Amino acid sequence: MSRALYRAGIRPHLRWRELGLLAVVGVSLVVGWASLESFRTGELGLGNASLLTVYLIALALIHVAFVVTGRRMDEILFPTAAMLAGISLLLMNRLPQDLVTQSIAGRELPLGPLQLAWILVGFSLLAAIAIFVRSDGWLRRYKYTWAAAGIALLLLVFVFGDVVGGARLTLRIGPISGQPSELLKVILVVFLAGYLAENRALLASGSTRMRGFTLPPLPYLLPMLAMWGLALAIVIVQRDLGAALLYFLVFLALLYVATRRISYVVLGVLLFLAGGAVLYVLFTHVQDRINIWIDPFADPQGAGYQVIRALYAYGRGGILGTGLGAGLPSVGDVPSIPAIHTDFVFAALAEELGMLGALALLGLYLVIAQRGFRIAATAADDFRALLATGLTLVIVVQAAIIAGGNLRVLPLTGVTLPFISYGGSSLLVNGAVVGLLLALSDRAVEAPPPGARANVIRRAAQRARQVGGRVEEALS
Amino acid sequence: MDVFTLSLWALRIGFVLLIYAFFVVVARALWRDLRAGVAGAGRPLARLLVVGSPEGRPQAGTSIALDAVNSLGRDVNNSIVLDDSFVSAEHALLTFRGRAWYVEDRGSTNGTWLNGQRVEVLAPLGYGDEVQIGQVRMRLERARQE
Amino acid sequence: MSGPGGTPAPRGRRLALQQLRLHLRPRLRTRGAVPALPGGQPSSPPRVARSLLSLSLALAVAYAALAGGLAYWQVVQAQALTADPLNPLSLAAARAAPRGTIYDVNGVVLARNVRGPDGERLRQYDYPYTAPVIGYSSTVFGTAALERAYDAQLTGLVSLRPGDELLRKFRGQPYDPSDLHLSLDINLERIAVDLLGDQKGAVVAIEPATGRILALVSSPTYNPNRVVDPDGGRRYMASLQARDDSPLLDRATQGLYVPGSVFKIVTAIAGLGSGAISPQTTYPDQPAEYDAGFLVDGFRVHDFPRGVQTDHPLDFYEATEVSSNIWFAHAGLDIGAANLESWAVRLGFGARIPVDLPSSPSQITGGGGPLDGFRDRVELANAAYGQAEVLVTPLQMVLVAATIANNGVLMRPTLVDRLTASDGSVTPLEPQAWSQVCSYDTAQIIGDAMRLAVEGEYGRAFAGAAKVPGVPTAGKSGTAELGGDAAPHSWFIGYAPADAPRIAVAVIVEGGGAGAQRAVPLAGRLMSAYLGVQR
Repeated sequence: MSRALYRAGIRPHLRWRELGLLAVVGVSLVVGWASLESFRTGELGLGNASLLTVYLIALALIHVAFVVTGRRMDEILFPTAAMLAGISLLLMNRLPQDLVTQSIAGRELPLGPLQLAWILVGFSLLAAIAIFVRSDGWLRRYKYTWAAAGIALLLLVFVFGDVVGGARLTLRIGPISGQPSELLKVILVVFLAGYLAENRALLASGSTRMRGFTLPPLPYLLPMLAMWGLALAIVIVQRDLGAALLYFLVFLALLYVATRRISYVVLGVLLFLAGGAVLYVLFTHVQDRINIWIDPFADPQGAGYQVIRALYAYGRGGILGTGLGAGLPSVGDVPSIPAIHTDFVFAALAEELGMLGALALLGLYLVIAQRGFRIAATAADDFRALLATGLTLVIVVQAAIIAGGNLRVLPLTGVTLPFISYGGSSLLVNGAVVGLLLALSDRAVEAPPPGARANVIRRAAQRARQVGGRVEEALS
Repeated sequence: MDVFTLSLWALRIGFVLLIYAFFVVVARALWRDLRAGVAGAGRPLARLLVVGSPEGRPQAGTSIALDAVNSLGRDVNNSIVLDDSFVSAEHALLTFRGRAWYVEDRGSTNGTWLNGQRVEVLAPLGYGDEVQIGQVRMRLERARQE
Repeated sequence: MSGPGGTPAPRGRRLALQQLRLHLRPRLRTRGAVPALPGGQPSSPPRVARSLLSLSLALAVAYAALAGGLAYWQVVQAQALTADPLNPLSLAAARAAPRGTIYDVNGVVLARNVRGPDGERLRQYDYPYTAPVIGYSSTVFGTAALERAYDAQLTGLVSLRPGDELLRKFRGQPYDPSDLHLSLDINLERIAVDLLGDQKGAVVAIEPATGRILALVSSPTYNPNRVVDPDGGRRYMASLQARDDSPLLDRATQGLYVPGSVFKIVTAIAGLGSGAISPQTTYPDQPAEYDAGFLVDGFRVHDFPRGVQTDHPLDFYEATEVSSNIWFAHAGLDIGAANLESWAVRLGFGARIPVDLPSSPSQITGGGGPLDGFRDRVELANAAYGQAEVLVTPLQMVLVAATIANNGVLMRPTLVDRLTASDGSVTPLEPQAWSQVCSYDTAQIIGDAMRLAVEGEYGRAFAGAAKVPGVPTAGKSGTAELGGDAAPHSWFIGYAPADAPRIAVAVIVEGGGAGAQRAVPLAGRLMSAYLGVQR
C-alpha cells in the first residue's frame, strides 16, 4: 500500500517551519484586513472578508500539497511570497475598485477580486512547478532554442504589440493582454545560466588548455554579448528602460558569479555608462526620464507630476504611515498618485504603512534574496547555481529598480514590483520563478529509482527531447 | 483619544509589527546559514567516513559531508577530491536517488569496489557499506544529528 | 581480484603506464554533451559561493540606499513636503478643520471663518483692500498670497507644538490650525489706501531696523470676499481676469516700473561702496553740460529742471539734492557696469526677493549686452540715473531706503510676526539680517544726502512735501520718464525720523507726473500719520 502511494508520488514529509511562517502570514493579514475594514466601516471588525478567506484557504491547500508530495524544498520562500501577495491583496482591496475592471466569464470583476484571481493562478503555477518539475534538462539542454524563442517573442511584441503609455509593451490575445517582457527576463536567465555554466571554465581562466594553445575568451563572450545587445536594442526601441536595466544588471551579476572576474563587471559598467550617454543624447524619451529624475519640480504639471505626487505621499506617510485606507487623499475622483496600482504601489504602501512598513517590505525581498542565494550556493552544479542566482536576481533587482524609481534614487521606469503590483503577467511569471527556485532547492534527487517502469508521459517527453535536440544542434 | 481610534491604531501598528515578527521567525534559519558560511550550509544528507587511506590524501578518519550528487576522483573539479595515485581523474559518482544511495563507476581505470565486489555501472548501497576507490576506503554513514 | 585493503603487485607496471596515460591524455572540456545523470556534471560549488557573497554584499548596499531614500523622504523632508501647497493633502485638510485666523499687529481680525448659506465653511475678509497681502482661500480657486504661503500652518497640516507630529495621528482630529499675527498695521494700511485712492500704483511701508512690513497697498485691487463667494465667485474672477488694469496683480511686489531718480540712491551705494566716487567728487565739465547736455557716445544727457545750481560743478550731496542726471551719468560711467551690477545684487536686484508673497526680480539692464550686460556706455550712463532698461518693484525700492535707514544693513522683509497654536503656544519669527550692503559711513553719507534732498534749500522744491513736520526726514523723489507722450511715473522713497528711523516708505503713482506732484505728498502724509504727527 505504501509502495503504491510512494510510486503515485504521495510521500508525506512535514514542513513545520513553513506552517509556522504561514501562520504568521495569516495572522498579520487578518490584522491588516481588520485595520482596513475598521477604518472603512467606522467600527471594529473584518467587514467583508471573502477575498482574504479565499486567499488563506489557497495558501493552506498549497502547503498541504507540498507536505503530501514530500518535496524537501526550501520552507521560507513560499511564505515570503505569500506575505507579499497578501499585502498586495490588501492594497488592491483598498484602492478604488474601478481602476481596473475586466469581464471574465460574463461577470465584471473589479480590482480586488481580479488581483486575487491572478494571485491564485500565479500561485497555482508556483505550486505546479515546485511539485512537478523534477529535472532541469529541458532548461539546460536547449539554451539556444530558448534564446531564439525569446527573441521571437520580442519581435512579436514589437510588431503586433499595443502602445500603452508611450511604451510598446503589451500583447493582446483576445480578452487577455500580457507583458511578454516579464517572460523574456526568465528566458534570458535560463539561456545565460546554461551558456555560462558550459563555458565557465573557459571564460574564467582566460587562457585554456585546448590541445596546447591558448584561446582568448572573446570568441565565447561575443555571441553572448550579441544576444544581450540584441535584446537590449529591441527593448530600448520599445522604450522599456526598466527591463533593459534589469537585463543588463542580471547579465553582469551572472557573469561575475560565473567567472569571478571583476574586470568583466568594470567593463560592463563602462559599457553601460557609455551606452547610456549615447542614448541620452540621441533619444528624447531618455532625456525626459533623466531630466525629470534630476529635477521633477521643473515641470510640475507635466512630466514631473507623477514623481512629485509620489514624494508628497512619502511626506504624508511619515514613520508610522497614515494607516491602511486613511491616506492617499484623492482630488475629486482622481487618485493622489497616478498609476497607483501598477507603477507606484511602493509609494502608496510607504504612505499608508509608513517608513516602518516600507522597510519591512524591502526586508521581505531581501529574505527572498538570501534564500535564493543559498539555493544557488548549495546547488549540485554550475548550471543550477547560476540559474538559481539569476532567478533570484530577476525578482530582487526588479524590486530594487522600481522602488528606486519611486523614491527618486533612480529614474522612474515601468517595471512592476514583484508580487505586489497589479498585473497578471507579472504575477504569473514571478510565481513561476519562485516555483522554479523551490524545485531547484529540492534536496531529494530528480530521477526516480532505477528499475521503475517507463510510462507514456516519459516516452513522450523523450520524443520531445529528441526534437529539441535537433533544433538545438541546428542552431548551435 | 477615543477607544476606536486607539484600537484602530493598535491594529495598524500590529500589522506592521507582525511582518517584523515574520523576520524574527525566519531569522534563526538565516543566522545559522550565515554562521555556517554560504558553502555547504544545511544538514548534509549523509556522511562518508574515510576508513583507510594509505597515501594520506584524504586523511583517514575524515568525515565528508554528502550532497545529493557527489563526484569522486582526482581532478580538482570533483566535489570530493581523492588525491590518490590509483584514482582516476573522474572515477565515481555517489548519488541519492529516491530514498537510497547509489554508487556508480565512471569508467575508471582501476574500478570501483563495494564491499569487495566490483561495481558494474551502478549499485545501491546502504549505511555501513564500504566503498573502495583506488586505495581509499570509505564508509557511508548517517548524517550527524545537529 | 583485489580485495579491500590491498593492491595486487603484478598490476604495478600496468598501473604506472595507465597513470602516465592519464597525465598525457589531454584534458578535454566537454562542450554541449551532458552525461545521462540528470544532476549533470558536478563541479566545485565553493567558487560560486564566494562570488555569491560579494553579490549579496552589493545587493545589501543597494537596498541600504533604498532604505536611506525612504528615510530621507519620510523623515527628513516630510515637513517640507506636507507644507507644499500643491500637496493634495491640504485640500483634504481644508475640509476637515477650521482655518486659522489672521490678525494685524494690534490684534484686529483681518481674515476669519464664517458659515456660508449651505453651512459650508467660508473665509471672510473684514478689510478687502488687504487682498494683495492676505490673498484668498477658496475651494474653487485655491489659495493666494499669505493664505497660500502659510496654507499648511493655517489648515493645521503642520503643527507648531513640539513632538506633536507623531502623536497627532492618534487624536481624533489630526489637524491643528495656527493663527497668524501679521506685522501689518491696519490703520496705516487704511490711510495708505485712502491716500492712493483711485490712482494706479503701490505703497510699501517697512520698519528698517527689523524688516517688518507695516503697510502694503496695490491699486487697483480686488475684493477677496467676492472671490470666495460660492455663488458669484467664478463670474467675479473671470471679470477680474478680463480687465486691462490687472487688479489681481500685486503691484507692490510684482509691478516692474522705470524708477527714474529714485534709482540714484542705488548708484550712490555702488559708487561710494566701490570707491569709484567720493562725496567730494566733481565733474569739471558739468556747468557747460547744462546747456549742451552731457555727450556720451552720441547721446546727450540732460538735467531737468535746469537752472538749479548750474554755476559750479556739483559734489555728491548737491547732485543728490538737485537730482542731477548729468552728475550721476558721469558717476555711472566711472563706477562701471560690473560694480553697479554687483552692488545692486547686494540690494536684492536680479533675484526674487525672499518674502512670503510672489515677487518679481528687479533689473538694472535687460542684459545680453557686451558691456557686462549693458549694450553700451550710453545705456550705462542712462541707467545710472534710473532710465534706460532699469525696472524695479516698489518693494525693491523700499528695501533700498530701508538699507540706508538701517546703516547699510538690509533686513529680510517679513509680513508675519508670530504664529500661535491652539493651546496658546507662540512661535515668533525673528527678524533676520539679509545682507550687509555697504558700510556704516557710506550709509551715513547717503543718508545725509537724502536728508538734503527733502529738507535742503534746493531739495525742498522737489521733495519738501515729504517732510514730516518737526521730524528730520530723508528721501529721494523720482520722475520716471516713459518716453513719448505718456505721463511719467511719480516716485518717492524715504524714511523718518532720519536720525532714528522707524518707518521707510516707497510710493509710486503710475502716470502721476513729476515726483513732487503725487508720490511725495502721499509719502509725507503717510509717514506723518505713522509717527503720530498731525498735518
